[in-house]
Amino acid sequence: MISEFDKSKIKGLILNDIARKGGKYVANWRVYKPVIDHEKCVACGLCISYCPEQAIEPGDDGKPVIDYRFCKGCGVCANECPQKAIEMKMEETQ
Amino acid sequence: MTQDFDVMPGNKAVAHGVRLARVEVVPVFPITPQTTIIEYLSDFVANGELDAEYVHTEGEHSCMAVALGASMAGARTFTATCSQGLAYMHEVVAQATNYRAPIVMAIANRTLGWYWSLGPDYSDIMPEMNLGWLVGFVESNQECLDQILMNYKIAEDYRVLLPTMMSLDGFYLSYSQERVYLPEQEAVDEWLPPYKAPYPVDPTLSKAWPSANLPSQLHTTYRRLHEEVMEDAKKVIAEVDRSYMENFGRSYGGMVERYRCDDADSLMVTMGSMTTAARRAVDKLRGQGEKIGLLKLRFMRPFPKEEVIEVAEQVDSIGVVDRVVCHGTGGGMAFMDVKSALYNTDVRVPVKNYVTGLGGEDIPIDDLYMMGKKIIGNKGKKLSKEVDFVEHPLPSGAQPIDIENEHCVHPGSDGCAGCGASIIIRTLLDTLGPNTIVVDPPNCSGVNYAGVVKVPWVLANFASAPAYETGIYRALRKKGKADKVYVTSYSGDGGTVDIGLQSLSGAAERGESIIWLCYDNEAYMNTGIQRSGSTPLFAATSSTPVGSVWKGKPQRRKNMLMIMAAHRIPYIATASLAYIPDLKRKIKKAAEVTRNGEGLAYLHVHQPCPTGWYFDPAKTVEVGRLAVQTGAFPLVEVDHGEFKISVKPKELKPVKEYLEPQRRFRHITEEQLEILQTYTNGDWEALLKMEKEGRLPWY
Repeated sequence: MISEFDKSKIKGLILNDIARKGGKYVANWRVYKPVIDHEKCVACGLCISYCPEQAIEPGDDGKPVIDYRFCKGCGVCANECPQKAIEMKMEETQ
Repeated sequence: MTQDFDVMPGNKAVAHGVRLARVEVVPVFPITPQTTIIEYLSDFVANGELDAEYVHTEGEHSCMAVALGASMAGARTFTATCSQGLAYMHEVVAQATNYRAPIVMAIANRTLGWYWSLGPDYSDIMPEMNLGWLVGFVESNQECLDQILMNYKIAEDYRVLLPTMMSLDGFYLSYSQERVYLPEQEAVDEWLPPYKAPYPVDPTLSKAWPSANLPSQLHTTYRRLHEEVMEDAKKVIAEVDRSYMENFGRSYGGMVERYRCDDADSLMVTMGSMTTAARRAVDKLRGQGEKIGLLKLRFMRPFPKEEVIEVAEQVDSIGVVDRVVCHGTGGGMAFMDVKSALYNTDVRVPVKNYVTGLGGEDIPIDDLYMMGKKIIGNKGKKLSKEVDFVEHPLPSGAQPIDIENEHCVHPGSDGCAGCGASIIIRTLLDTLGPNTIVVDPPNCSGVNYAGVVKVPWVLANFASAPAYETGIYRALRKKGKADKVYVTSYSGDGGTVDIGLQSLSGAAERGESIIWLCYDNEAYMNTGIQRSGSTPLFAATSSTPVGSVWKGKPQRRKNMLMIMAAHRIPYIATASLAYIPDLKRKIKKAAEVTRNGEGLAYLHVHQPCPTGWYFDPAKTVEVGRLAVQTGAFPLVEVDHGEFKISVKPKELKPVKEYLEPQRRFRHITEEQLEILQTYTNGDWEALLKMEKEGRLPWY
């Protein structure tokens, strides 16, 4: 094997692979962090549809849960939430 | 002669050269890493610093054709490109030679796919080498500026009268900052008088013009004459170099530069930006008492045969460093030329080839030092192996995060924060399902999302993605799977309304049952926000900047809806990322139409781009919604000829509300705003009228 790209049976042929797993850790892009108030949330799902990063998925109760590893902090979810249940909070500096 | 200097990237030095040469026509099409050349030029024109016809072409093939037409009509002409763009120009590049058009073109080198890279090697210029152009390579940003001026002087000399290409290595020169001295405009004007074409295509000036026709019996003769002209060009190149020295105080040696060659007994041969590192390697070896010299090839066409032989006669070993492979020959381009230059001479020394720096990989001083050591060690030896590939292992990078979900897209892309394109991809692929093939002409989504989708994503060439789709669709149809697998594009507006339009029109007219999805962010975002045929009136982009002369894009956008409707295809719709249920319904309809084999389904989806339109990323969906509510981007569909407005606000909001969050419109005056409002109202009324009619009459 020459490199991690060398997976095909044909010499010198590089493959794209549907079975590749997952995306990149992009949380370090973030300046503001969305925080959902589940009391105010009515589980309308708009934040899930509109999240550009697909970082929000419905939890067990149908209400959205953010995977912060993939959240770039754009703020679309907070801007679109009809209940104003998402607040953008400044990330703490380390 | 005092000269001001500034610190600037190579692309800006090129643009300054073009400005100082008072170029009259500049056709452009963006491609990384050339794009900023044409952006700097658009700034000069927008601010009245360069009085030139600036032509935003719809693709490189047209770009080179505009350059050729302009040059034939007698104008001093400049254009720039690289890589895929240069390859797409190829046919017209060949034509420029016999039309004797002294075009000056800058090539900010970049690898020609296959494998794709933005970094430089000479695979892009290699196919253009033998078409009869003068082809040169520069090493520094200062040389970029000086060579542009010298190239006009050489190209427009009636002893030459040929087009010239100047290669500057992408990134290493194009984007790297160096000190550059700017000659005085008056001095340049005196040295480089306006171009006077001997036989311009202009019936008011000339009754004769360069011909493309020649009886086949004379081809050999005229090719021989062209070789003589190329030989004559060598003298002119040397003359111009001396004259430049006398007038501006800088000389580069003409065809080649010899560095520490006087008493050398071994020789390294380089070209382009790697030469700077090679100088340091040679210095180091000289410091150790080795007598090694360096020959920098400044021109490859015409090839400096005499200069190479002259230096070769005094040394005992030669090593040629190549940033390109001529596949099937075993080695590089300069290697072949150097070797063949020496064959019918008395020089019998080992000539070794080092192939390195492909795909834009750096060629560090340490590598060149090692090559230099080997060249010295080859003295008096018979080589057992002619070519060495200087390779490096891949440094280990970050691993993707493992995640399971039922979507067809993974999170964790390289897209900008607030990117609207990703919302559309997810909706598209989740609606069509896993048995979908995405064909993608170059765009930002290909860069950002190809690595996170769970369906085949085929990177196509810019001008031919609909034909790639056709090929895949026809193969599937032949194998009886046309109703089981969807073939869709994920194209930007450039790939749809500009460079891709011809191929799209062909596929639509042939009735290929494929989906064409255009995500319209209203400019070439992948190369850095240049205007497209879909950019709205008055929008500022990096190729339609606002200055003392220019006030944003002066043209209205193409009406793609009607262009596609003219093809009588079964389904056409506009959609928006702000109206997801409507978008999903339209994707399903497109799927149904293509699954039934009825023909091409066209989806044009509006995609606000926070990076390119300059608004707060949180407002991606809000801006999209405002576009629909103000009538700036109406949502409509044409279903087998039946015209319908999908989202009809009771009353349109003023278009100002849509423009306000976007800084690309911040310069617009009250008068411009009124024009935009009038057009928007007119378009909306036309749509209402068409809906009332119901069926488009030509279906």
